[in-house]
Amino acid sequence: MDWKGYTGNILKIDLTVDKISIIKQNVDNIKQFIGGLGINTKLVADLIKPKIDPLSSENVIIIGVGPLVGTITPGASRTVASTKFPATGAIAYSCGSMSFGFNLKHSGFDHIIISGKAEDPVYLAILNEHIELIDASDIWGKDIVESTNFLQKKYSESGVIAMGQAGENLVYGSLALIDKTSTFGRGGLGAVMGSKNLKAIVTKGSRGISIANPKEFNQLYRKLFERIRKYPQRESWHELGMLRSLPVGMILKASGQHKKARQCSERVYLKKLKKRRIACPSCPMGDKDILELQEGNFKGLINYTSSVINPFLMFTLDELNTYDEAIKSFDLVSRYGLDSLTITSLLKFCTHLYEKGILTKENTGIEWKSDYRTLVQLIEMIVYRKGFGNILADGWKSLAETYKSVENEMLTVKGLDIIFEPRLLRLGTMEFEQVVNPKGAHVASGGSPTYLGAGGSIEKFKMHFDRMGVPNSAIGRLFTPPLKEMVVNVGRLTRYSEDWYTVLTSLGLCARAQMNRFYGLELVTDIYNAVTGFNIQSEELREAAERTWNLLKILNVKEGFSRKDDKFPEEWFKPLKFGQTILNFQDFFGESTITPEVANQLLNNYYDERGWDKIDGIPMQSKIKELDLEKYS
Amino acid sequence: MVKKNYVEIIVNEDRCTGCIICQLWCSYVNKKQFNPYEANIIIENRYGLSPKISFLESCLHCGQCAQHCLYGALEYKEVVD
Repeated sequence: MDWKGYTGNILKIDLTVDKISIIKQNVDNIKQFIGGLGINTKLVADLIKPKIDPLSSENVIIIGVGPLVGTITPGASRTVASTKFPATGAIAYSCGSMSFGFNLKHSGFDHIIISGKAEDPVYLAILNEHIELIDASDIWGKDIVESTNFLQKKYSESGVIAMGQAGENLVYGSLALIDKTSTFGRGGLGAVMGSKNLKAIVTKGSRGISIANPKEFNQLYRKLFERIRKYPQRESWHELGMLRSLPVGMILKASGQHKKARQCSERVYLKKLKKRRIACPSCPMGDKDILELQEGNFKGLINYTSSVINPFLMFTLDELNTYDEAIKSFDLVSRYGLDSLTITSLLKFCTHLYEKGILTKENTGIEWKSDYRTLVQLIEMIVYRKGFGNILADGWKSLAETYKSVENEMLTVKGLDIIFEPRLLRLGTMEFEQVVNPKGAHVASGGSPTYLGAGGSIEKFKMHFDRMGVPNSAIGRLFTPPLKEMVVNVGRLTRYSEDWYTVLTSLGLCARAQMNRFYGLELVTDIYNAVTGFNIQSEELREAAERTWNLLKILNVKEGFSRKDDKFPEEWFKPLKFGQTILNFQDFFGESTITPEVANQLLNNYYDERGWDKIDGIPMQSKIKELDLEKYS
Repeated sequence: MVKKNYVEIIVNEDRCTGCIICQLWCSYVNKKQFNPYEANIIIENRYGLSPKISFLESCLHCGQCAQHCLYGALEYKEVVD
């Protein structure tokens, strides 16, 4: 078959026997699951047996890119990793960007299946038709920046997925970085790579991508590009990057930390930190950063980050007193390959336990001071699994087992820390999705008009619902919440957020609001058809996404997950002291308080909208049959 | 006297983000495929601290790369003689 958009090839690597083979894609599978996240999910369903140890050689890593990746389609640079994650034990996915997916596609592959375990550390090199597992002794033990620099010096302009020492030491909060910038694999992808003795994957491709219907593509692209060019906020996004989406300084100020707030301002970012704006291939809304410290004890430090918000969020730790300490510790965490969000939450919680007298010098082995040196000591104890650090290296579940009395105080779902705090941001789909996402607290599929600053009025909600492909028949239900004053039913809406983001992630399109705002289901269907030469309807694309999400859920039902695990953190129902203010768990418009009863009703509504059983929170047979997923149930 | 128009491409390397939209468009227009290695514009060290932008001799100076740069790294200027 003459594939367009797709390469039609899946690369299969068996690390145990050092075997490399190529499988041809199947058109029927493509029609059912599209690509990217969709085909990834089908492959994990076919290849990962239930109840395996995620850090055993039985686990499989699938890397995938969608059919639009490698073309000029704006923001089409997404790479998806699917595996069984050690932090939660869920079969799930994580996304990253930068140039890996682009290069993989141009090397001639849509997906990589990685199974088994190498006898000694290796890295995988994919350079067009030249594919090789190479001895990694030069970079094993090195951090992500050192490893990536080594590989990109050897293979210029390549895309690199690399993990650090945290992954080598099987830390559950480890991830990988793409091109030392984009976080990839929250929940322990680094550890899964470490368990397989796979230090990195490097790819450089020059085969090119041609498309099926250039005339139609040109029309769609020119129109889309002009909309992006004329977008009034484009230049301020270029200037401020992700700081535009979440002004951390304002949050710190509201929490009473005025001195820190001043150091997270736009002025400090622009004058003292920002070195260069970088963007993924094909992205006209670039928001990645190269930072450089221009003063202080760490003057000259260069840090690459997918979001400047992440080091600023680390700054909320009591142990950090100046912004340059925050950048330095974020850089350290990133180099080791730890998830900065998880580490920040874990250490905040441990400080709380220390203040309560549950953690002491005796049971942790360290003098817990609110300073930078203590923070670095703790980070290194986790990365190298020293003493008390060994408990934290096994994540929240391990901490909960060791200190059972405080489990209810943890802001986690299924063993993964929450990212969006609804008492601060109110309950939108991003916040709600953390509860129902099969992986645990994960926000990648929760975007919607309830995203901070995106919605507000009924008219705007309706416009976005239409864009996301919400069927007209559901609109009435979406405006029927458990309490009238809530206006919108976030539980029901989350189902459509997940489906829409699954469409984007299966095609390879960016999920960030400033990019995906230009897309709608009709437009992405037209682009998909022009690129691939297929002739599918938007409803088929939406159904493929629904099929993917249901299959992901079915896999996790087999892992033992059910409604009992879709649990709102108990702390959300208690007031949060935030500076001089007391914040409560409120709906998106701040008109009503979310009680456990209302939260349960929202869960019921979510399952109902999904066609799932409300008692167990799992897909019903009728839904499984409708989506042609019987062979997986 | 006949007035002659030509296109000038002004390069600001420090504004380049490495998005390679310019290369993708160039290769698509001239070689009917998306492939930075088939483009007439070269972006080196695209995620480094100092990217370099240059043009092959085969470049037709059509200026379409600059018309597709939204970061100001390439500016399109029509000059009338």
